[in-house]
Amino acid sequence: MPHHKLAAGIPCRICSLPFALPRSSAPTRSVPKETLTSEMNAETSDAPPTSLVDRTVVPGDTVLDLTAMASQTIKLGAGLRQDCDTISVMKAGKLRLSKPNKYWVESSHKRYVPCVEDTVLGIVVDCKPDNFLVDIKAPTLAFLPVLAFEGGTRRNIPKFEIGTLLYVRVVKANNSMNPELSCVDETGKASEFGQLKDGYMFETSTGLSRMLLSSPTCPVLEALGKSLSYEIAVGLNGRVWVNASSPSTVILVSNAIMNSESLSGVQQKIMVEKLMQRLQ
Amino acid sequence: MEQRLASTCRMTVNERKFVETALASDLRVDGRRPFDYRRLTIKFGREDGSSEVQLGQTHVIGFVTSQLVQPYRDRPNEGTLSIFTEFSPMADPSFEAGRPGESAIELGRVVDRGLRESRAVDMESLCVVAGKSVWSIRVDLHILDNGGNLIDAANITALAALSTFRRPECTSGGENGQDIIVHDPEVMEPLTLIIHHLPIAVTFAFFSEGNIMVIDPTHKEEVVMGGRMTATVNSNGDVCAVQKAGGEGVTPNMIMQCLRIASVKAADITSKIKNAVETYNTERTLRKVKRHSSTVTQQVSVPDVIMKDKQAENIISHQEEMIQHEPDRSSNCDDEMTVNTRTCIKTEGNRRDRCTDPFVGGPSNWDPYLNKLSSNLVGKSQDLLGPLTISKEQQESKSNKMAVENSPEHATISSNSETLGVSGPRQQTDVAKSLKDAVKSKARKKSKTSATTS
Repeated sequence: MPHHKLAAGIPCRICSLPFALPRSSAPTRSVPKETLTSEMNAETSDAPPTSLVDRTVVPGDTVLDLTAMASQTIKLGAGLRQDCDTISVMKAGKLRLSKPNKYWVESSHKRYVPCVEDTVLGIVVDCKPDNFLVDIKAPTLAFLPVLAFEGGTRRNIPKFEIGTLLYVRVVKANNSMNPELSCVDETGKASEFGQLKDGYMFETSTGLSRMLLSSPTCPVLEALGKSLSYEIAVGLNGRVWVNASSPSTVILVSNAIMNSESLSGVQQKIMVEKLMQRLQ
Repeated sequence: MEQRLASTCRMTVNERKFVETALASDLRVDGRRPFDYRRLTIKFGREDGSSEVQLGQTHVIGFVTSQLVQPYRDRPNEGTLSIFTEFSPMADPSFEAGRPGESAIELGRVVDRGLRESRAVDMESLCVVAGKSVWSIRVDLHILDNGGNLIDAANITALAALSTFRRPECTSGGENGQDIIVHDPEVMEPLTLIIHHLPIAVTFAFFSEGNIMVIDPTHKEEVVMGGRMTATVNSNGDVCAVQKAGGEGVTPNMIMQCLRIASVKAADITSKIKNAVETYNTERTLRKVKRHSSTVTQQVSVPDVIMKDKQAENIISHQEEMIQHEPDRSSNCDDEMTVNTRTCIKTEGNRRDRCTDPFVGGPSNWDPYLNKLSSNLVGKSQDLLGPLTISKEQQESKSNKMAVENSPEHATISSNSETLGVSGPRQQTDVAKSLKDAVKSKARKKSKTSATTS
């Protein structure tokens, strides 16, 4: 029986916009169409703005006209800005909408901007008396307090050598301070945080990590899980750890994942099938 | 301190262990076998002597430039070749702008040694006036992306750039014949460098105390490897240079095996470079040939057309070793094409397709009354005939044999360029005259054809 375990954390950000939406979700409208079609004219050349949801937008695009929605509350996430009466895009990416009124732009980068409650994969760079310095692909190194482990006291401080791979959670993230991490969840339990032993780690973009963590299960992971048994941990900072019993399986899984970024669900399934056929 | 920490490459202990355990079962992390190279693509820029090479993720560009300098005292009749490398900070976080680091200097040295010690580039042909001025060839290599194995990629870039580089022709002239005149590329066709052979660098990485060896290491494998060796060999089987700077010790058997593998790989890479250079050269020649034949459509006279084909053939046989009948066929096709088609033809297959298409509309486009049509068409052809006269001069200087035959045609063309308005009907009457001559008197026709076709 193929065993496929996703060691994923709770996918949420503090601005309360879920980052992961089912890939097959149809674009939804939160504002009645007739009021918008009259307003949106010069900016978007063809259709009303809410049909920009789930489409690629670039900085400068206007996505909403607020004169049409006078008494509504709209929550804006990353990459959007209010310009008097319009909402315009600041970052290139896909515009996402969560009913009823949450909008944000999702983009895929090599760099990671730390957000609270993100689960990431970090590499220990240095050990200090009070905390470990951990690299999470952020602009600055992150601190992992020595006591932030389940049942952690001054007597049983874990000994991590330089280069240890950890699965951690971001606790504090401001752009002026170093981010702070923790190896326990909110209730104080370890819950799969901590050191990842053996296996292989590779780096991808943040967009691919989000796709791998989306629910329902990402097609490439599902297709691989049908014929191979492996263990995987995905960090939102673009790092993925794979472990399996034989090195060839690990190499297969890692290469399949790396090639699947730009493919649609069906294409991913086909790619994995071809890969499995080539091996047999 | 944090800045420095942030800029080094981070490898987890998991990765290190995994790379080694996978290699123990002959598996590499990107799915290659131990003796497989990554995909190699060689591209060229518009200028002669600029190349861009991608070996997997590694990306290097190279430029070759030349300058007249005084030779070294101990080698008064040899040119000089110098390699400069620039490790751009965008290639790797550990590269810093400014002074080159250790690996940058080592890379430059290995590429330089492979070319200089093996005398791959002929230095004596670069001498202009012995003891006074020689050509100094400078190769600049820029690393754009470090995906591992920079030495091999940089070497291929340097070879590709040198193979397509052309230095200006220069002759001695001036008052007492002492001055050197460097000719503009438009005036005189620049010359290629004489390259005797292509020394290819093949890099090996050693793991687990020298027992496991792989070719073309990626960035991750380079961090994990115990030692590295670069063997520069050419396709004739000569070993041009070997570089092993520190690292794990390796048995002599291992080194002999590496050299054997390197010569096999070198033959493969040499053929790839040569194919790419040939494609570039044919495209370059086509660009020149098209310029000539596009003006021929304006003149319409058939004997002149045949002349130009022969000259085009001579250019091609001068510039390239192999004589192919393709350019002849293509230049025939080009004659039929109108002036406005100026697309870039990349491969020979495409060229053949292009040839057939204009033929379909060929006879209807070829209109003997074309010259009478519009003034701007006439004006355009006038501009085109301008460069034609210059290139005609350069062809004359090149082929001394054809000098006599060129001059009458040159005379006709220059007279055409001066009085274009008159030339149209005159040529028409020329054509008409030759047809009439064919009917009327054979003697007159014989003298006319002998003047134009000799």
